[in-house]
Amino acid sequence: MVMPSSDWVELNFGPQHPSMHGVLRLKAKLDGEIVKEIEPVIGYLHRNAEKICEMTYFNDNLIYFDRMDYVGAMNMEVGYLEAAEKLLDISISERVKWIRVIMAELSRIAAHLVWAGAYGLDLGMLTPFFHCFIEREKILTIFTEVSGSRQEVNYMCVGGVYQDITEKAINEIEDFVREFPKRLKDIFNMLMKNDIFLSRTKGIGILDKETAISYGVTGPMLRASGVEYDVRKAEPYLVYDQVNFDIPVSYKGDNLARVLVRFEEMRQSLKIVEQAVKKIPDGPYFNPKAKKSLMIRMRGEGDVYARTESSKGEFGVYIVGDGGVKPYRVRVRSPTLRNLSVLPELAKDVMIADMIAISGTLDLVFGEIDR
Amino acid sequence: MNYTVQVIGESVGKDGRKIIKVTKENFLDLMKDLRNQGFDHLSLITGVDRKDFMEVVYHLHSMKTNEYVVVKVETRDYKVPSVTGLWKSADWDEREQYDLLGIIFEGHPNLKRLFLPENWVGHPLRKNYDMKKTQYINMDEEGNDYATFDERGGW
Repeated sequence: MVMPSSDWVELNFGPQHPSMHGVLRLKAKLDGEIVKEIEPVIGYLHRNAEKICEMTYFNDNLIYFDRMDYVGAMNMEVGYLEAAEKLLDISISERVKWIRVIMAELSRIAAHLVWAGAYGLDLGMLTPFFHCFIEREKILTIFTEVSGSRQEVNYMCVGGVYQDITEKAINEIEDFVREFPKRLKDIFNMLMKNDIFLSRTKGIGILDKETAISYGVTGPMLRASGVEYDVRKAEPYLVYDQVNFDIPVSYKGDNLARVLVRFEEMRQSLKIVEQAVKKIPDGPYFNPKAKKSLMIRMRGEGDVYARTESSKGEFGVYIVGDGGVKPYRVRVRSPTLRNLSVLPELAKDVMIADMIAISGTLDLVFGEIDR
Repeated sequence: MNYTVQVIGESVGKDGRKIIKVTKENFLDLMKDLRNQGFDHLSLITGVDRKDFMEVVYHLHSMKTNEYVVVKVETRDYKVPSVTGLWKSADWDEREQYDLLGIIFEGHPNLKRLFLPENWVGHPLRKNYDMKKTQYINMDEEGNDYATFDERGGW
């Protein structure tokens, strides 16, 4: 163990700092340009969504979940509804399941595109950012077509979705599936054919398997460290057991591995969307039982934990009901909170600039960390 | 899964997960047992305020075998042994539950609030928390946050 030296300089990053994705504050102790100790301070976006959820009806809680991971809102809704529908004993039709899978995967692509653009910015590249956001805008247009809103969609509800997916939306999705692989390749090449990008990611911020599991790291970060854990395969929800896709895994555990895993995940998500659009069956888009009970308010008893794979990792929702019309306790397992907690371990004895490169690969979204 | 520790009971929850209920005295031994049996991923720690006692729920998962188990322990004095020595993710999880529910995790190396300022009065997720009293947040010269009841002292 290194003893603290009086020559170390204390430096504050954030909470308002351009290269921090949101309101993260880092208390760093520096020896020259080497980071010796680092302590993340969070809570600047804390709204206590868990308390608000206790005061609201089951179906109305969804809008607070939209605002957690705001770049991949559909995944948050899927996560909450997996738990809520089990607690309330409400089934959903096959058509709704396929619609939810399409939306969740499109949302995952959108979230990864935001990350890819922002990570380029972190390392001083402006061009990929615009290309990523042009592609993301196409997904948001699809969301607008189905739900009427771009980012905080509020599309799903207990028992189904608010409106059926239209023919126009299906066409837009098919167009997107056709055009996106080429555009993704362009974005990929923009980053990967740049020497500076490679030298700042290769071999930097290595996270080993045991540390990652012990810290509760999940999602692309864990898979980049060589653990093949994806909730979509480990405990399939919706219709993920009926689609064909692979889990990308890398064994290097450095920044570059995390970049590559996320890019491959976008390709796999696209594969799922492609299959789902073809397979989507006819049927009701809403469970009539839920619609009727929306009027008299649904009641749930017992406790249910549901885990889903959001774009950041294992997103879990634990709901305790006491037979009332409101949840007794809602607890959210935020994947990024655990991914952030490993940063002090990763950013030990690295240069300040590398610390920014490492924290960029964590894919931090503060709506979800602080809740 | 076979453990030697005496437990109160086993059941299966509404979501199909196995639930083990254990007393506070045997809790740490059970967790050590489960940790040694390959439950290497502590997914979630939840405190549930049941008004006259506090229920703490641990969701454990094994990366290798994909098994899942839920451990529940009840406490009346709001104190539970800490499991930070077994899983590192327990550190921030326990700090969060201490912050919002006021559960004291005995043996935690750095038990301070995670989200709220250090001098915040009360624990918001408690059922008896008074929500009518507004607290305002301000920043001191060091850059750390503090809370105050004075309307003009913060925002």
